[in-house]
Amino acid sequence: MISAGIVRGALLILLAVVLVLGLLIVGNRLVRRHRERRRERIAAPVRGSLLQLLCAEEDEQTELLNRLAETDRRTWAALEPTLTALLGKVAGGARTALVRLYELRGAAVDAVADLSSRSAARRGRAAQVLGQLSHRPAAPSLCRLLADHDPEVRLAATRALGRCGGPEAVSYLLEALHGPRAVPPAAVTRALVSLGPEAQRSVATGLEHPQPLARAVAIEVLGATGVVSRTSEIARALREDPQIEVRVKAARALGRLGMPEGLEPLLAAVRPGQPVALRMVGAGALGTLGAVAATGPLAELLGDPDRHVAATAARALLQIGPEGRAELQAAADDSGGPAAAQARAVLAESAVGAARDDVRAEVAL
Amino acid sequence: MAAGEPWASLLGAVHTLITVCDSVVIVYFLAINTSYLVLILIALGEFVRTLRRAPFAGHDEAATSPLTPPVSVIMPAHNQAAGIAEAVRAMLLLRYPEFEVVVVDDGSTDGTLDALREAFDLAEVEYVVPDDIPVRGRVTSVHLPRGGPVRLVVARKDNGGKADALNVGINLARYPLVCMVDADSILDSQALLAVAKPFCDDPQRVVASGGVVGLANGCTVVAGRVVEARVPPDLLGRVQVVEYLRAFLLGRTGWSKLGSLLIIAGAFGLFRKDAVVAVGGMDPDCIGEDAELVIRLHKHMREQGRDYRIVFVAEPISWSEAPSQRKVLAHQRRRWHRGLTEILLKHRRMIGNPRYGRIGLLALPFYVVFELLAPLVELAGLVLVPLGVLMGAVDADFLWRFLVVAYVYAVVVGMVSVAVEEYAFHRFTRWRDVWGGLVGVVAENIGYRQLTAWWRLRGMWDGLRRSPQVWGAMTRAGFDSPGQVTEKGGDRA
Repeated sequence: MISAGIVRGALLILLAVVLVLGLLIVGNRLVRRHRERRRERIAAPVRGSLLQLLCAEEDEQTELLNRLAETDRRTWAALEPTLTALLGKVAGGARTALVRLYELRGAAVDAVADLSSRSAARRGRAAQVLGQLSHRPAAPSLCRLLADHDPEVRLAATRALGRCGGPEAVSYLLEALHGPRAVPPAAVTRALVSLGPEAQRSVATGLEHPQPLARAVAIEVLGATGVVSRTSEIARALREDPQIEVRVKAARALGRLGMPEGLEPLLAAVRPGQPVALRMVGAGALGTLGAVAATGPLAELLGDPDRHVAATAARALLQIGPEGRAELQAAADDSGGPAAAQARAVLAESAVGAARDDVRAEVAL
Repeated sequence: MAAGEPWASLLGAVHTLITVCDSVVIVYFLAINTSYLVLILIALGEFVRTLRRAPFAGHDEAATSPLTPPVSVIMPAHNQAAGIAEAVRAMLLLRYPEFEVVVVDDGSTDGTLDALREAFDLAEVEYVVPDDIPVRGRVTSVHLPRGGPVRLVVARKDNGGKADALNVGINLARYPLVCMVDADSILDSQALLAVAKPFCDDPQRVVASGGVVGLANGCTVVAGRVVEARVPPDLLGRVQVVEYLRAFLLGRTGWSKLGSLLIIAGAFGLFRKDAVVAVGGMDPDCIGEDAELVIRLHKHMREQGRDYRIVFVAEPISWSEAPSQRKVLAHQRRRWHRGLTEILLKHRRMIGNPRYGRIGLLALPFYVVFELLAPLVELAGLVLVPLGVLMGAVDADFLWRFLVVAYVYAVVVGMVSVAVEEYAFHRFTRWRDVWGGLVGVVAENIGYRQLTAWWRLRGMWDGLRRSPQVWGAMTRAGFDSPGQVTEKGGDRA
C-alpha cells in the first residue's frame, strides 16, 4: 500500500497545480484583454489614415502611404491584423494601395526570407502573405515549397502560386500531385484555374503526363477555363485513357466546353457496360452540352437499372430544352415502369419550379 | 476453535478480496483521470498547432471556390414542429459554395411537415428515391419548395427511428458528401466549411469528419445562431459544460490526433457518401448509431487495406441543448451507455485484434476499460471502500487522505480542460462564465459523477439484456426565441 507520506506529498503537489491553473486561467484572460485594448489604443491614431488611403485617388496615395509605412514597429504590429483582413476583402485601387503599403514596409522581402524559415508556421504564413500580395518574384521560391515536408505549408504554397505564379509554375504544380509529398488535386486545380489564360498552353502539356492524376487535373482545368481548342484531345482521353478518373473528368470537361466534338465520345461513355460513375457523369455532361441529338440515348437511359444514371439522364433531358422535355413527357405518358417514374419525377420537379438549372452529377473518385 | 476456523478463513478471504478490490478501485481512479489528462495534453498540442497555422488555413478560398465538394445536409426530424422551420432556415443560410438540405420527417404526429410546408411553400412531387441503402420506414411523400432556387428536399416517411430516417436521407442525397445534423442543432455559419476542410485538404483519404458540439444552454440564440456563448446558471448545466469540454472537445481531439477517433456526434458529422453506402448506412437496430457507423467505417477500411482518415475538427462550430432536468439527463446517459454497450458487443471481435491496428489495440480496449466498465468500478468503489474501512482492510486515515488526493486530481483534470478552452477558444466572454465553469469542475465529482455512474450502469444492463428500444419518445420543443432552450432527451453529443 502507498505510504501516507507519498499521499500527503501528492496532495500538496496537486493543490499547487490547482493554484497554478487558476492563476493561468485568470492571467491568460487578463493578458489577452490587456493586449486587445493596447492594440486598439495604438492602432486608433492611424486608422483614419488607413481609411483615407483606401478611399484615396492614386495621386493622393503617396503621402498617406509614406506616413503609414513610416509608423514604428509597435504601431505596425497593432495595425497588421486589420491590414491582413482588409487585403482579402478589398479590390481595385484599395487593394493596390494596400499591396504598395506592404511592399514599402518590406513585408514581401521579409516573407520571401521566411520561406526558408525552420518553423513550418512561419513558412506557411510567408507563403500566404506572398500570395495575398501577388508577389510574382516569389514564384520560384514558392515552387520549391511545393515539396515542403509539411502538408499544410505545401497547401499554402499551392494557393499562393495560384495568385502570383505564371506559366512556369504549371509543371511544378502538376508534379506536386504525386509522390510522397503530394498536394491534393482540388488545391492544384484551383491554383491552375487561377493562373488564367496565359497558363493554358502549359496546362495542356499535362494531357500527356504519365501520371493519371496529373492528366485528370489538366483536363478539369481546361474544361473549367473553357479551352475549346483542346476539345479533341479531351475527347480522346475520354475514349482511350485507361484510368476511370481521367475519363470521368474528361466527360465533365466535354460537357462544359460545349463543343460538337464532345457528343460522340459522351454518347459512347453512357452506354451500358461502362463504369457507373462514368455513365452518370457522361449523362450529366450530355445535358450540359445541350445537344438535341443526345435526347434519344438519354431517353433510353431513363429505364436504366442504376437509378442514379436514370435520374441524371432525366435531369439532362430537362436541361436540353423543349426536345428533351418532349422525350420526358413521352416517357411519362408510357404505361409505367421505372423510366416513366423517373420522367414523371423530374417533370413534377420542374412543374413546381424547383428543378435545377444545371445537372451536377457528382461522383466520389 | 475447530468450528470457528472456516469462518475465520472465510473472513480472511473476504478481507483479502476487499483489499484487492479497493486497490483496483484506487488504481482505476488514478488511471482514468491520467488517461483523460494525457488526451487533454495531446489535444492542447493540436490546438497550439492549429492556432499557429490558422492564418494560412485557407478557409476563405474554400468558401468561394466552385471546386469545393458539394454537401447534402441531412436533418432527421421527429415531432419538432416548434423549431423545425427556423432550424432549416438557419441551415439554408450556412456559408458554403454548394449544398442542399434534406429533411426527413420520421412519421411526426405534431405537424412537423405542416410547419415546413407553410414556411417554405412546399409542393408534393412524385419522386424516385434511390435504394442505395435498404430502409424500413416507407417514404410516403417528397416535397420541394415552389418556384424558387431553395435547395431543400423534404421527405415524409413512416416512423422507423433516427437511423432509418438518416438512411432515407442518404438515399435522397445528391452530393458526394453527406452531413448528418440534428434538427435541433445550432450551427455556426462557418460550420460546414470547417468540417469539410479535411475533405478539401486530403480528399483521397478522409472518409469522415466530426465537429465539436458545445452546450447551447444559457447561450444567446438569434435567428438560429449562437451569438453569445455562456455557461448556464444552473449547477447541472455547469457540470455538463466541463464534461463536454473534457470528454467531447478535448478527448475527441486527442483521439483524432492518435488516429483512433471512434465517435462522431450524430449532432454534426460529415461523411463520404460512397463510404457510408459501402458499409450499408446506419444500423437502425443500434441506439448509438453514430458511433457504430464510425466503428464500422474503421472496420471496413482496415479490412479493405485502405489508407484512410477519420478526423475531428477542433473548432467550436455546433451547439446542442443538454438536459437541464435530472430525469432527462438520466434518460440520456442511460441511453448513451446502452448504445456503447451494444456497439462494443457487436464489434467485440475487433477488441484487442491487431488486424484493426490502433482501433483494435488501443481505442476499443480503452472504451471497454474506461468507458464501458467505468460505472461498474465507480459504484463498486462506493460500496467496497467503506466496507474495507469497516472490516479493517483499508486504513481509514490513509483512505480519507487518498480520497482527497483523488478528488483534487479530478479537479486538476477539469481545470486543465477549462484552461485549454480559455487559451484556445475563449468563447465565454464574461468573468462569471469562467467562475461558472470552475464551479462545475468542483461540483462534478461530488454526486454528479456517482449519479451518472448509476444511470450508465442501468444503460449497460439494458444493453446486455437487450431490452426493447423505445424510439421517438424524446421531448423537444425547439429554440423559438433568443436565449430560449428547452429539453431534449437523448442524442449523443
